[in-house]
Amino acid sequence: MGAIEVTAVDPVLVEARLRGIQSITDATLSRLDDRELLTELLERTREVLQADTAAVLLLDFSSGQLIATAAAGLEEEVRQGVRIPVGRGFAGRIAAEHRPVVLDRVDHTTVLNPILWAKGIHSMMGVPMVAGGRVIGVLHVGSLTPRRFSGDDVELLQLAAHRAAAAVQSMTAQADRAVVAALQRSLVPSALPVVAGAEMAARYIPGSGAVGGDWYDVFTLPSGQVCVTVGDVAGSGLAAAVIMGRMRSALRAYALETADPAEVLGRLDRKMQHFEPDALATVLYAVIEPELDQMHVAVAGHFPPVIAYPGQQPAEVADVRIGVLIGIAPDTRRPVTTVPIPPGALLCFYTDGLVERPGEVIDEGLGRLCRAVTAQPAEAACAAVTGALVGSEPARDDIALLMFRRHARGERDAGV
Amino acid sequence: MSEVRFPVEMVSGVPVVVTPEEIDITNAAGLRAALLEAAGRGPGRLVVDMSRTVFCDTAGIHALVEAHKRAGAGGGEVRLVITGPAVLRIFAITGLDSVIPYYASLEDALTATSRSADGT
Repeated sequence: MGAIEVTAVDPVLVEARLRGIQSITDATLSRLDDRELLTELLERTREVLQADTAAVLLLDFSSGQLIATAAAGLEEEVRQGVRIPVGRGFAGRIAAEHRPVVLDRVDHTTVLNPILWAKGIHSMMGVPMVAGGRVIGVLHVGSLTPRRFSGDDVELLQLAAHRAAAAVQSMTAQADRAVVAALQRSLVPSALPVVAGAEMAARYIPGSGAVGGDWYDVFTLPSGQVCVTVGDVAGSGLAAAVIMGRMRSALRAYALETADPAEVLGRLDRKMQHFEPDALATVLYAVIEPELDQMHVAVAGHFPPVIAYPGQQPAEVADVRIGVLIGIAPDTRRPVTTVPIPPGALLCFYTDGLVERPGEVIDEGLGRLCRAVTAQPAEAACAAVTGALVGSEPARDDIALLMFRRHARGERDAGV
Repeated sequence: MSEVRFPVEMVSGVPVVVTPEEIDITNAAGLRAALLEAAGRGPGRLVVDMSRTVFCDTAGIHALVEAHKRAGAGGGEVRLVITGPAVLRIFAITGLDSVIPYYASLEDALTATSRSADGT
């Protein structure tokens, strides 16, 4: 970047520059909501730098393109949804090289976007918008008259880009949180199926950080079998939640096609590796026989269920064989373990957030869970486990928890 | 943003990433980025030396798996050095012990002849 010139200090210029910096970093900007802040910031940037146009292009990570998102004096760029591939053209170069670019003369060899030269923009400068160490977009200004942007101009623009990046980050996080929460609500079953001879209860507890990709699901098959899924998509936020939604519905579809739980996970894995090659997930899928006396479990890297027997303490980690996670190895067949379910027994399915604690061996968490799970009514068991393992401290990771209890002999179904 | 750095050292011509004592949700993202960068450099071997690591949670496991995938896609291979019982345990309970080759010492990881990593 251009060095700051310390010679020939013109007090009037310094004063103007300071006012410029103040205008861009002004605290009153923070009172605006993020979208207004971005628009206002572009207006001020244009003013301070005495430029004719100012625009923000944000990087769409899935397509690798910069998308015109906000503009001042260049509104058509946003309205027409201009897209610039990273690495190409003026803005694309800034994003690819992570550094400011100044163009003294705009023409078709330096600028990809025809709107800019059609508009008659003569000179431009742009800087990367960086958040969390990576480029999230580009901020550029343009002048309709010939002009040489200075190193000071670049620094001022970088300051504005910094502010804009923070606003965009906050905007994205807010939107993501709202969408993810809505998605989670729509995907986690609001009512569990009613199964004669058994009862179920479940919890989804969002983490204190971003909402994650944990889920549980219970459904019955035409055969009368009861299927239970619990899973965890690696990562967090909207991306993980969307993948979770796709996995959940794909798994339901494959469950209708085959009764073999390993085959269901195999098909799910094939689908994921083809359509979501970067996704990684743990899934446990159990098929409980219509008689409710046993379940067949296939596991893709997920923690095993805990089973509590009536009159016996503590509960045990079910001895199930663990197969490979979803998303790693093509054409993997996972082992299927059959677990007997005696009358009155309670099965506890969960995700890692329930048992993992920083710096603690996983067996301690599993031991704590085994002591908390008892063969009692499912709803009470859920409450006991969340009370003992979640308590009042906010969980860092999200948690999915599902209890399935086979009724004891002679026990009647509770009226629902 | 201050992120913990995970330098890549070259040992006998093989890139080696040394992991810290604890890997959890607070530093797994940094580790993931370092591993993906190292694994994406091209075909060949990447060794993740976890011999100092006494604790690793599922966030750390996910970072290792992603590096394994990235390396595999480029014709390379990730090898782990694991000595801590807690790390071995989380490795086994997530079924990873049959996916990523692991060794008891850095020397073994550097010198052992390749074996099939996906358990086939």
